[in-house]
Amino acid sequence: MKKGMLITAPRHDTVTEYLSAFSVKIEKNCNKKSIFCKTLKDELASKEKFSKTLKKLDCNIIFLNGHGSEKSVSGNKNQILIKSGENEYLLYNRIVYARSCEAASKLGRRVTKNSKGCFIGYELPFEFYFDETWVTNPIKDNTAKLFLESSNLVPLSLIKGNSAKESHERAKKQMLKNIKKVLRTKSKESYALAESLWNNYFGQTILGDNKARISNKT
Amino acid sequence: MENKNSENEITETMKNSVIARIDAQVPSNLKLAMGSYGGMSKEEMIEHVKKGDEIGKQIVKRHIQFLRAVANGEITDALASLK
Repeated sequence: MKKGMLITAPRHDTVTEYLSAFSVKIEKNCNKKSIFCKTLKDELASKEKFSKTLKKLDCNIIFLNGHGSEKSVSGNKNQILIKSGENEYLLYNRIVYARSCEAASKLGRRVTKNSKGCFIGYELPFEFYFDETWVTNPIKDNTAKLFLESSNLVPLSLIKGNSAKESHERAKKQMLKNIKKVLRTKSKESYALAESLWNNYFGQTILGDNKARISNKT
Repeated sequence: MENKNSENEITETMKNSVIARIDAQVPSNLKLAMGSYGGMSKEEMIEHVKKGDEIGKQIVKRHIQFLRAVANGEITDALASLK
């Protein structure tokens, strides 16, 4: 297995547009640290391409963005990329972060039960609020930033060489900080935002080898 | 078992409370991205809760989960743990 990161970044609807826009920073940080990174954008985030690329590049970190369910994570146009019991072996022995709904509950458990890998994901639907004003330029959306920049800390921390557990905890700590921040503003939407941030905080889980890090997976 | 079922049951009172909170707390420029349902406006969230469909049930569940965490001090403890 090689030191590097494979990112999936479908952009077929507003939600995936946001997830992908906030993933650009991850690739930039990999480049800064001279860590190999490949992003499968749009139609490249297909089951076939994902499988071929992973087999060829053999990256030890996988960052999945897209819609999900308890047993699967999807790519472009909701085509299933990884499904429990079908091709989850592709994730074996790697560090996986799935920024998608519920995938930790069954897919993540199966992956970490059958391999020595680590899976960070959500046991509940991952959610975020976004401001319609910024849908054409998601990265400027300060509301979405509260959710997506905190979740970005998982891959960013892994790139820095921190363990999976440290990376998981850093992201969760930032979610708490953001809850504190929004509650202090006492604006109309404070409680709604805090509630969603709490949902992600509560639902984010780490399974398998939590000591795994980018450098010791070879 | 009976207790567990009653804990998971979504009552009309819960629905009405959730609808009132969404109405009061979600500005019209914000949309909620949850699951594969795309971005939901405040009106769409309320509609799902009223219908009691899967999305509506999920919206109610997360509201209740948050309210419980506020009431039992879980959120206060978590925030207090921040240095």
